[in-house]
Amino acid sequence: MWTYILRRLLYSIPVYLGIVLLLMACLRVNDPVAGFLGKGASEEAYQAKKESMGLDRPFVVQYFDFLRQLVTFEFIKVPDEEVTASEDGGAAVLRSRGIESWSQEGRTVGQILRESIIPSISITVPALCFTLLISIVIALLSAYYRGRLPDKLMMVSAVLGMSISFLVYIIFGQYWAAYLLNQKLELEFFAVQGYEPGAANWAHYCLLPVLISTIVAMGYDTRFYRAVMVEESGRDYIITARAKGSTKRKIMFVHMLKNAMIPIITRVMSTLPFLVMGSILLEMYFNIPGMGRALLDSIFSNDFPVTQMLVAVFAGIFLVSVILTDVFYALVDPRVRLS
Amino acid sequence: MMRRFFRSRGVRKLVRDRLAMVALGVISIYLALFFMMWCGFLVEKEETFERVGANTEVGFFEEPTIEQRLLYLEFYLDNLYSAADSRTPEASLAAIDLYGRLPTLTDPDAVIERIDPLWEVYDELVELYEDDAFSDDPESLPRLEELEAEAATLYTEPEGLMGRLALALGTDRQGRSIFLRALYSIKIAVQIGLVCALISVAIGTILGGAAAFFGGVVDHVIVWLYSTFSAIPYIVLLMVLAAMFLGSAFEGTLVPVYTAFCMTFWIAPCRVIRGEVMKLRELEYVQAATAVGFGRGRILLKHIIPNTTHLMFINFSLLFIGAIKAEVILSFLNLGVKNEPSWGVMIKQATQEVISGFFWQIGAATVFMFVLVLAFNVLSDALQDAFDPKHV
Amino acid sequence: MSKAAFEAGASSVDLTIEDPLLEVRDLKKYFPIRKGVFARHVGDVKAVDGISFRVRRNETLSLVGESGCGKTTAGRTLLRLLAPTGGSALYRPIPNGPQVDLFELSNAKMRGFRSDLQIIFQDPFASLNPRMPVSMIIGEALRVHGLARGAELEDRVSQLLERVGLRAEARNRFPHEFSGGQRQRIGIARALALNPRFIVCDEAVSALDVSIQAQIINLLKDLQEEFNLSFLFIAHDLSVVKYLSDRIAVMYLGRIVETGTTQDIFERAAHPYTQALLSAVPRPDPTLAKDRIVLQGDVPSPMNPPSGCHFRTRCPLAEDRCAETYPDYVRLSATHSAACHLIQPET
Repeated sequence: MWTYILRRLLYSIPVYLGIVLLLMACLRVNDPVAGFLGKGASEEAYQAKKESMGLDRPFVVQYFDFLRQLVTFEFIKVPDEEVTASEDGGAAVLRSRGIESWSQEGRTVGQILRESIIPSISITVPALCFTLLISIVIALLSAYYRGRLPDKLMMVSAVLGMSISFLVYIIFGQYWAAYLLNQKLELEFFAVQGYEPGAANWAHYCLLPVLISTIVAMGYDTRFYRAVMVEESGRDYIITARAKGSTKRKIMFVHMLKNAMIPIITRVMSTLPFLVMGSILLEMYFNIPGMGRALLDSIFSNDFPVTQMLVAVFAGIFLVSVILTDVFYALVDPRVRLS
Repeated sequence: MMRRFFRSRGVRKLVRDRLAMVALGVISIYLALFFMMWCGFLVEKEETFERVGANTEVGFFEEPTIEQRLLYLEFYLDNLYSAADSRTPEASLAAIDLYGRLPTLTDPDAVIERIDPLWEVYDELVELYEDDAFSDDPESLPRLEELEAEAATLYTEPEGLMGRLALALGTDRQGRSIFLRALYSIKIAVQIGLVCALISVAIGTILGGAAAFFGGVVDHVIVWLYSTFSAIPYIVLLMVLAAMFLGSAFEGTLVPVYTAFCMTFWIAPCRVIRGEVMKLRELEYVQAATAVGFGRGRILLKHIIPNTTHLMFINFSLLFIGAIKAEVILSFLNLGVKNEPSWGVMIKQATQEVISGFFWQIGAATVFMFVLVLAFNVLSDALQDAFDPKHV
Repeated sequence: MSKAAFEAGASSVDLTIEDPLLEVRDLKKYFPIRKGVFARHVGDVKAVDGISFRVRRNETLSLVGESGCGKTTAGRTLLRLLAPTGGSALYRPIPNGPQVDLFELSNAKMRGFRSDLQIIFQDPFASLNPRMPVSMIIGEALRVHGLARGAELEDRVSQLLERVGLRAEARNRFPHEFSGGQRQRIGIARALALNPRFIVCDEAVSALDVSIQAQIINLLKDLQEEFNLSFLFIAHDLSVVKYLSDRIAVMYLGRIVETGTTQDIFERAAHPYTQALLSAVPRPDPTLAKDRIVLQGDVPSPMNPPSGCHFRTRCPLAEDRCAETYPDYVRLSATHSAACHLIQPET
């Protein structure tokens, strides 16, 4: 078992190295300094900026230095002031730098990460929970009424729902739920935009994006879970259970659900990294300062260090979650372990 | 080769599925429209930027409000009036062409003479409206209608189907025909879908087949390659790749879109084909081919790959949908289609309009897209049912 | 294995055979077992652990044994459809002419010999490419080897189809339009297309209904006479083998335990395993006493075969010495030998 985990980890290393390589290459295709400073920058400013980021060094050097920053978790660091008494009296000195953002003065990637993770999670985690619950229930119902009207209705709705762009849901959702509803009820139930921390504020700011996210994901998930259920229901042990005389409901909830859990949980686990990243579109539209929005902002403001680091971190989280998923799958399915 | 394909069991099963055939019919219609536009019929790119009417005109089944009607009137009257009143009246007047609706009067003085009294009526009605007295006065509505009838006589009727349909779905905030833009977006969407899906499936099949068949180093490299690409969240990958082209010579063309999509979408077919080829490789007819003395390349190309065509079709249709939906998102973020209308561009522009209750642009884009995507969803489901029963 | 030891009887080979079409010496096929983080090679699955035999021209040698004994692997390794781990396969196409070790050839040279050595598979469903019409399945080989083209190709395909008992119109149909027995006939036609001298029949009738089996076996026998073929007939059922074989080799866990003529095996089986196999063959004679030998236990895993004689764990006659050393081949006659401690040579 441990050899399996170790082997997976070892194999992920060249993959991560490749990701970083790809990322760094892509971001340097357009000169990041020129992109940031614009066309009218002076020669000295250009050079200064370039050196401050180390972009004047050869690519290989930059590559290894970046890896070093990743491995030492430098992206978590927050500017730390230390007041030291000097001859003039009281000059603040920055002790640890972290990686500074270009467009946001004085802020580091660490700060951005720390501040944006909670807003992202407060949308993605509840969305995942809702989607999971509702989809599984619908899938069970579909499998139960398989072939009959409720099943067909649900599946047709799923396909219809899948054919509309995510954006359209967001736009209409915002319009109807936030705007119109507020007018009709004459109170601000759903915030049209924005975010404030705190559990009390959650429903106001986050519930709508969560609902939209749930509705969109439900189409795909329901179909997947239903397929899993259907496949399970065809298995011999179910037929045996029926022959033994179990009621259909008991079969469904006890036998099928248990065995269907494995592919379901595997799939849920594979969506873990997206939990942290947050939905870029939702955050952009509802003006929620989460990770996705941070990434988007950094791309549009040509904030090179932040973009580079955020994507590298996301990719790292993604790889870790893939390994976790595989490990979980190996735990559950002994056939995988032996290979 | 086609004859062999059509005889297979899967195709017969597919044909029997009536819903799938309807979907195929719908897709064919879209493809036909695409071809016509590609050859220059129906509507050309420049025409989608022309003004065809007033701003934010509503479509055919919505009843415009009084305020809207007054605004439209103002446009139609002012359009001619300011042209006739300009420094080059004849030229300006002659240049007016609302997609086939030309001024009926060519003499500037005649235009001014006709419209002056109309302005008076217009001003009165506007005053009434602003004083909230419009509904009180029983005369106001008939007067408005009369005014509209008068204004209508100032323009010729458009000829041809396109001309008459131009206003069917209303206009956007710059007076451009929503119908024409939505129609043209079909061309863009199908173009992007076809190019990206074809190339992605081609790349994915070649790499996946080679990886599974030749094994060893080749397999390790290709698996490493797609693990790398798939570790970056797909939207982020699209964005980073598209952003690469900002400021380059290709900005504004569809090249960034094609590149971003192909480099992201090749992964799925690669995985699927690789899995299938690994399965097929062990089958006995492959061994028989070796026994007969065929070289490995020939076996891969002639024996194995043809048995994956059903998966290629399925992936093609799934990627087509993916490309259309991803284009909407990219265009929304200003990284996708730039210099021509597309559904993504329309939706982006529509976000402002929705707030004021104007749904025509977003509605048109959504519906046109919905039909195509739905058809492909139905088709790919049917394809999977017919050819790959173990799918999810 | 040295030629002297080989000839001296230290093997299972039939010594009366001179000028064999094909001589297999000490064929080995191991599959590596990898364990640990770096997938280190810790052991082997010894699927085929050193078998030797000779096949005459125009004769059928049957290779019989339970599932998992390695006979299918042996057949495929012989044709280099799997990479051999050891041993040699000496092929002598011209009578009394030069021989060539097939395992020593480069891939390109081997392809030249492939037309001589063909194979018919067990699974009639998996052995034909579902996307190709029959004409292509059979004809492609001819085209690639440059033996026929165009109309001549069509004729040849039709000829072959008719020779195996199908109608020439079958040319344009697809595999799924035929029954299992018919598909095997197509497989046979494909194997015949290149005018081979030697065909490995890998459980070629095992997947067919009993009545069809008889037809196919008869067909094979006719073809053998007409085209001067040699067969290596792999099967797990002795009764199937009786009609077709000239000689039989019995395999157990990667090794040949007994070899002899059909008569030797059926009338004078010496090895306990062979005897058990024979007793399982149903005989339509109610007066015969039922003296079936039922073997205890399961087939041991080829990853970890028992010490000494591999069969001892299930042998009803096992003694202590059977666990100590692997038995040598005892030569019971010029044609008949078996590897068992308990046999006394007849001569």
